[in-house]
Amino acid sequence: MKLPVFIVCSLSCFLVLAEAQQADVAIYPRPREDTKLAVADFIPLTFASQDTQATLEVFNQVLWNDLKFSAFFQMPSKSFYPLKPLRFPRDVSFENWQAPTLDVDFLIFGNLQVDGTQVTVEAYLYDVKTQQQVLGKRYTVSENKLIRRVVHEFADQVVFQLSAGTSRGISRSQIAFTSLKGDSKEIYVMDYDGFNQQTITANGGLNKFPEWSADNSTLAFVSNLPNKSRWELWLQGLKGGRNIIPVSTSYVSSPAISPTSQSIAFSSRSPSKSDPDIYVTDLTGKGWRNLSNHPGIDTSPTWSPTGHQIAFVSDRTGTPQIWMVDADGSNLQRLVTEGGHCDSPNWSPNGRFVAYSWQAPTRWKHDVYVIEVASGKIFQLTSGNGSSENPHWSPDARHIAFQSTRTGSKQIFIMNADGKNVKQITAYGINGSPAWSRYIKLVEQEQDAQKEEEENK
Amino acid sequence: MKKNCRVRKLSVGISFCLLLFVSACSKRSVEMTPSSSPSQQTRSVSLPDPDHPSPTVEITASPSTINIGSQATLRWKSTDSSSLMIDSGVGNVSEVGSLVISPRESTTYTVTAKGPGGEAVSSTRVTVIVNPKPIMVQTDIDNLQQAIDSGKVQPVFFDYDKATLTHEAKGILQENARIFLQFSNVEIVIEGHCDERGTEEYNLALGDRRAEIARNYLIEIGGDVNQLESLSFGEERPFSSGHDERSWRLNRRVHFTIQR
Repeated sequence: MKLPVFIVCSLSCFLVLAEAQQADVAIYPRPREDTKLAVADFIPLTFASQDTQATLEVFNQVLWNDLKFSAFFQMPSKSFYPLKPLRFPRDVSFENWQAPTLDVDFLIFGNLQVDGTQVTVEAYLYDVKTQQQVLGKRYTVSENKLIRRVVHEFADQVVFQLSAGTSRGISRSQIAFTSLKGDSKEIYVMDYDGFNQQTITANGGLNKFPEWSADNSTLAFVSNLPNKSRWELWLQGLKGGRNIIPVSTSYVSSPAISPTSQSIAFSSRSPSKSDPDIYVTDLTGKGWRNLSNHPGIDTSPTWSPTGHQIAFVSDRTGTPQIWMVDADGSNLQRLVTEGGHCDSPNWSPNGRFVAYSWQAPTRWKHDVYVIEVASGKIFQLTSGNGSSENPHWSPDARHIAFQSTRTGSKQIFIMNADGKNVKQITAYGINGSPAWSRYIKLVEQEQDAQKEEEENK
Repeated sequence: MKKNCRVRKLSVGISFCLLLFVSACSKRSVEMTPSSSPSQQTRSVSLPDPDHPSPTVEITASPSTINIGSQATLRWKSTDSSSLMIDSGVGNVSEVGSLVISPRESTTYTVTAKGPGGEAVSSTRVTVIVNPKPIMVQTDIDNLQQAIDSGKVQPVFFDYDKATLTHEAKGILQENARIFLQFSNVEIVIEGHCDERGTEEYNLALGDRRAEIARNYLIEIGGDVNQLESLSFGEERPFSSGHDERSWRLNRRVHFTIQR
């Protein structure tokens, strides 16, 4: 298979913003929206062939959506923009972009050309106030269909620059999920915006509870193959390779790989017991430790980003509630004390919050909530139609994916961490258990890492 | 007997090395823990500390060999330890205690005692004899399938969010057990199911509890442990697809299928 060529040239890059914008990590519940950004439509470099026109349409739409959903910017409607097309920096009349109706802080523009199957994009980010270039990038890809990747890459660069490094962006992130296929339930991975779905399992069995490893190389999930009377704990490499962690009974569920990728937590039952507990082992299944040696159901573990704590669900008080314990089994304490049914806790990557679903005692539908771990303060994020469950944080801790039946069948949605800006990203079939991937490095960082590796050799 | 000699030699060897080591380092007196009874597969190594006596721990299993599905008892006692942990899925335990276990495969249980005076470890192994799989006879499979299809073998139903057997459910299981014994060479899967109201994680666990409780009851009233497997499906396989109590009642169940 020919690998797609993915080249990035940095035309120039001035980090002028480091001083102007303080890193403000405390973004909850409202994301910072005080930066005004204009995203002018990219235009053809020379002539607009039909291919170029079609690719441009995708490029402009995806770039707008990526930056809008990042929730970092105020983005005035394009109808207020000056009409003059911007191909190069010399085409920009900065005073027009500072007119009172518009008055943006930053401006994105550029050009695109399709040549055979090859696509070349030049993308610019300018500080309108200082008239200085913040980013200038040339991307070349060998296949037209990779254009979405180019957009996501550039959008993440913009977010990284304009958030002064607070976020590395989520546009290149992916979401693993389950989808019903007849009697079977299979695991898929898609881009964070719902495009580019890829098959991970096609074994005809039931595959549940996908969760990413810290380096995004592996998905952990549980699998019940046809005619096998047991659940198995699988570690499936996304580039091939599979490891099954042996368990001694037919029940294993809800795995979570530790942030250091040294251990895996899951719910299982030892042969001498009749109730599920939380266990931790290394990734080969050695060194079992029981973290919740208590009668009753214990399930759904989630690691704190440091790996020192695990939140999980236990019904030891009568109904399923969220508890916290240190990774060595000490300091057990109850996190949520609301009654009703809680489940699917998911610890935010910045460590401050645990998202979960809650079902009030009188209802049978769930909604998504977030609790601040230190203060115990609870925020309700969803309400209204349908049951909304299985929240999962984005890698930048500013967004949450969840499943909901609000539009009829069970589908996957993404939203801001304050519950606003809800966007449905699956539409066909029955889909659930979204798991947002971890942070990925920017291409430059990957190249640096490769260089370092080569130098070390 | 040979093995026991080796264990003794080993512990004498370790004791000797320790003696040499400690006397070379300081003039403190050295008190070795007495080596445990030679019939146990046990070793105990501890470093002396005049203020904190070294912890000791000892674990035994009786019987040490069982048939699959039968039970053995782990017994342990420890001194001078602040925490005691048994691996293989047992977890933290108190200083002196016992636990009835029923491992499905041969398992070594290692207990680790930690205290201010150091650490001590003891192990014991339970060997599990696994019977070869019974040969399934096709006519038996067909006949049992017919008994399931015709409703002679009935499912049992549960209250919302409960995994306890009602009086009625126990009656049904007694009748089912009688039928299963007629087909003792056919493996049966006890499937645990839930209604759609809980989350998927909770329901997979609840279905497991329901299946295990039915299986334990069947074994308690004379069922064959080798014939009965439990498996949870959570909310994945409802009898009825409706979203009301009439459907939910049918979906909170344990029912029986044949392992093919």
